[in-house]
Amino acid sequence: MITKADERAVWNALMSVPDPEIPAVSVVDMGMILGVDTSDAEGVTVTVLPTFTGCPAIPVIKADIKKAVEAIDGVDNVRVETTFSPPWTPERITPDGRRKLTEFGLAPPTGDGPVLISQIGLPMVAACPFCGSKKTHLENAFGPTPCRSLYYCDDCRNPFEQFKTV
Amino acid sequence: MSEALASFVTALADDELVLGHRHSEWTGYAPHIEEDVAFSSIAQDEVGHAAALYTFAGQILGEDADHLAFGRKPNEYRNALLCERGNKDWAYTLARHWVYDTADEVRLESLESSSNRDLAALATKMRREERYHQIHADMWLKRIAQGPVEGRNKLIHALEEALRDASGLFELLPEEERGIEEGWLPHRSEELAGRFVAKATSWLDGLGIPVGTHSTAGERAEFVASSSGDLIATDESAPSDEGATEGGGGRSGRHSSEFDDLWDVLTKT
Repeated sequence: MITKADERAVWNALMSVPDPEIPAVSVVDMGMILGVDTSDAEGVTVTVLPTFTGCPAIPVIKADIKKAVEAIDGVDNVRVETTFSPPWTPERITPDGRRKLTEFGLAPPTGDGPVLISQIGLPMVAACPFCGSKKTHLENAFGPTPCRSLYYCDDCRNPFEQFKTV
Repeated sequence: MSEALASFVTALADDELVLGHRHSEWTGYAPHIEEDVAFSSIAQDEVGHAAALYTFAGQILGEDADHLAFGRKPNEYRNALLCERGNKDWAYTLARHWVYDTADEVRLESLESSSNRDLAALATKMRREERYHQIHADMWLKRIAQGPVEGRNKLIHALEEALRDASGLFELLPEEERGIEEGWLPHRSEELAGRFVAKATSWLDGLGIPVGTHSTAGERAEFVASSSGDLIATDESAPSDEGATEGGGGRSGRHSSEFDDLWDVLTKT
């Protein structure tokens, strides 16, 4: 059994679990962890918010989380659940996560606050992760994964990807 | 939770799976590379939505999502005929994409007020992703409608074809009464069909496309020889209160011959 005080240890373990498609950021950086429940004597429950419904990385993420949390001393029963309530939205990415995404070469989603459904997909400017320029344009709202759009930087002339605003 | 709810959600999942499969047939073949990427990505979204919906239904029925997706007989699939039609050409692909996503938006917006909170949350999530599909389809419609006359005429013809099947997306469901009673179905198919027609008509009017969307309200889909060998006569003027499930289309498991080929590919492995 794990005590309440050890919730911190679970969060620390989660910080070591990368997004399999963007290994530079952790599931905590991406704001994908809705909660950690250590109050149950049966074990620990971690609730995950998938960024996209059809994200093929979800089973991998769930398995990685289970493995990382079970590695904590005294924890042997870990349940990983997913929920769509509330929907994952881009403002859940932490400031640290946004910085790491940019360093990885992936522009973070546009905007700071919650995005209204009427604003999703509107032409928005993504800052180029390579030179920082905002003189960029959208090439394709769809990219190599459900969560990425394709952009082109008119200044440094590099194509780049942006994590979609959803 | 009721079996009627699981059955209703399975029909929605069938729409997404089957159309997602059709979209995926463009992978490697689309007219240009950006559209190859776009249709592949849209296909992945639709199949992802199907997986989430099958998982939801499977939890109620105690069944595996993969079994629901790939383990049923052709006449157990309840997708609308619109979703199973072959891609034909680029014009039909875009017209069908637009008709489906315009209708899907109406359906998902309604389901966001379902009394089943998990279903409502899933509808919200899917609707946010589907925005990109709608914008993509709208963009193409506008581009072709305002372009050279040859493409425009092809598009109009394709829209007429796709819209003939649109009513099949709003076919009266056998689960409808239960859904309204139990609260998980916020609106009746007939009401949603009306919303769809209003939305589609206003968009097409704005593009100056003379397509008779008005006439699709309350009509039934055009039915052809089904996998079970029954031939169901075309009946485009049937009153909506007649109960489309009697001799209905995709929602009661009656499919076109195109579905048989698709089912073979879908379930091969």
